[in-house]
Amino acid sequence: METVLQVKGLSKQYKKGVYASHNVTFDVGKGEIFALIGPNGAGKTTTIRMISTLLQATEGDAVVAGHSILTEPDMVRKSITYLPDEAGAYKTMTGRGYLEFMASIYADNGEQAYEFVKRGCDICELGDRLDDKISNYSRGMARKLLLARAIMPLPALAILDEPTSGLDIINALEIRRMIKKLASEGMSFLLSSHNMLEIEYVSDRVGIIAKGELLEVGKPAELIEKYGAQNLEEVFERVVLDREVL
Amino acid sequence: MLSPQTIITMIVTVVVLVMAGQAMSGAISDSAEKASDLTICDLDKTEFTESVLSSLKATAKAGDGKITVVDIKSDDYAAELKRLDQDSVVIIPKGFTEQVKQHKKADVEFVQRMTSLATMSNINTGSDTALAVIQQAVKSTIYQDKLNSGAMTEDEMNQLEDPVLLSETTVVGNKSDKVSSSIVVSLCSAQSMVVPIIMFVLIMFSAQMILSAISTEKIDKTLETLLSAPVSRLSVLTSKMLAAGVVAALQAIVYMFGMSKMTGGLTEGMGDTSAYESAMENLGLTMSIGQYVLVGIQMFVSILIALSLSMVLGALAKDAKSAQTMLLPITFSAMIPYLLAMVVDIRTLSPVIKYIVYAIPFTHTFMASENVMFGNYSLYTGGLIYQLILLAVCMTIALKIFMSDKIFTMSIGGKQRTRKSFAFKKK
Repeated sequence: METVLQVKGLSKQYKKGVYASHNVTFDVGKGEIFALIGPNGAGKTTTIRMISTLLQATEGDAVVAGHSILTEPDMVRKSITYLPDEAGAYKTMTGRGYLEFMASIYADNGEQAYEFVKRGCDICELGDRLDDKISNYSRGMARKLLLARAIMPLPALAILDEPTSGLDIINALEIRRMIKKLASEGMSFLLSSHNMLEIEYVSDRVGIIAKGELLEVGKPAELIEKYGAQNLEEVFERVVLDREVL
Repeated sequence: MLSPQTIITMIVTVVVLVMAGQAMSGAISDSAEKASDLTICDLDKTEFTESVLSSLKATAKAGDGKITVVDIKSDDYAAELKRLDQDSVVIIPKGFTEQVKQHKKADVEFVQRMTSLATMSNINTGSDTALAVIQQAVKSTIYQDKLNSGAMTEDEMNQLEDPVLLSETTVVGNKSDKVSSSIVVSLCSAQSMVVPIIMFVLIMFSAQMILSAISTEKIDKTLETLLSAPVSRLSVLTSKMLAAGVVAALQAIVYMFGMSKMTGGLTEGMGDTSAYESAMENLGLTMSIGQYVLVGIQMFVSILIALSLSMVLGALAKDAKSAQTMLLPITFSAMIPYLLAMVVDIRTLSPVIKYIVYAIPFTHTFMASENVMFGNYSLYTGGLIYQLILLAVCMTIALKIFMSDKIFTMSIGGKQRTRKSFAFKKK
């Protein structure tokens, strides 16, 4: 399988001996959904932020669609979209205006931007509310708009941090189905969540991260079998207890 | 509600305002002291003018004032004041006694050098005192004549009503013209009032806009999305600064229009001012295009400093409240020189306070129009060089923050995200 993301010994050290993320290594293939799972503060977001070129790695490297985050961050940003956890949108803009603004950044020309916006409008399913100001949106509506923004340019790698946070069950299910559908069409996803049941359903492979270290990588079913667990939550518990890092 | 941040803000506010108040009160008391001092030149040199001088000295002694009698050797008043190292002089011209005796209005001339447009630097009550004493002396003489002759003519009665005709000359740099300094100050109100207000508005608006633009991006969590998009951080930063600068300039134009209408109203009260326009030109108090450009350059540099400082402060804000607090250092940095420049000539402050005020980058912009109008080009150049150095430092810091992780990890209090929940010590 073609590799879209290759993470090699990625570390973030704030001061000597103090790591937010340490020696993280994994890869994501084309059309694959890879999820980083772990509790709050485990190092998921730091790892994702380094891959998104927002934070500078102190050790290691990550290569996205053939471009290194260290030497070609501009090219990396062209190949990814990033949806941060608790991300916001510009409240004074309308939903459509926001999609148009973001499309203008990602698109090479007006025609492509129009195509992105059209796709974004279809994905978020906000209908007439797209012409309302974002300040009037509920949390769920805003999250759907942000998800649409992240997916509409059809990036090589979509990085979604807690993609369904703030969404009700129906909307969360729709998003999960959409992620699966887009992956089947060739888009790769790097997800992060502490909702392990969601990850078990949606992802092809998972990486269990705790206290900054990637402890285990594998397919959910294989990991469940390997650790003799009922679900991914139990796998996580056993992995971290085995390594005595909790 | 009463957080340490709020308390520190309140303490800093009080300390800064007390310091500014002390600086102003010192300058004001100096001005008041000098105001009652008088320099006088008697070109008539008669028994009568000698008695007038004696009366003046007696009056000054009673009121703690000082009378300095000087000799004026030419009518180049600018050069004469410079030679005598005086800021003003009352001149009793030749033929003064003769005019009094002929029951004509006697001429007295008052020459004042202007070095600043600040309110307190142009106060001089000495001329009023001199005028009152001279008038009293003339009146006494006429009364004495009447007593001797036993009759009062119509000319004598008219003379008693208004015995002295004061003509005023103002000196600016090496130039002088027959115009009252108070009229010059009124006509210069556009420069002395409008320019500082525009400058203050420009600094505050541009600072507030960029600070709000950066802090809102952080607080609303839109910054991460924007900076992970295929757009360079430098272009995000420069476009934000440019947008803030343009909107601030628009605000300034609106204020300039309003203020020019207001000051127009002030000068309208003086009647037809066309007669004074040539005097203003002669004194070099009408700014040329080149001088406007010089003031504009310093304004532009100040706005860039305000923008880069606000960028740094905006990056420190972690919530809406701290973003508001972050604006305070810029508010004070703009307000202190703004108020001082309106009231006192900053150059005359005590050395310690003067250099503290000079260290505030915006001071030089509030002094810019005055510096170019009064020919203080060395002060202008020094101020501009200082501002450029400071701008380079602020810009470097702003760029360093924006181009690094610090834009996400910095917040007020200086704590980075190295808390135990986010970082782990490796054994």
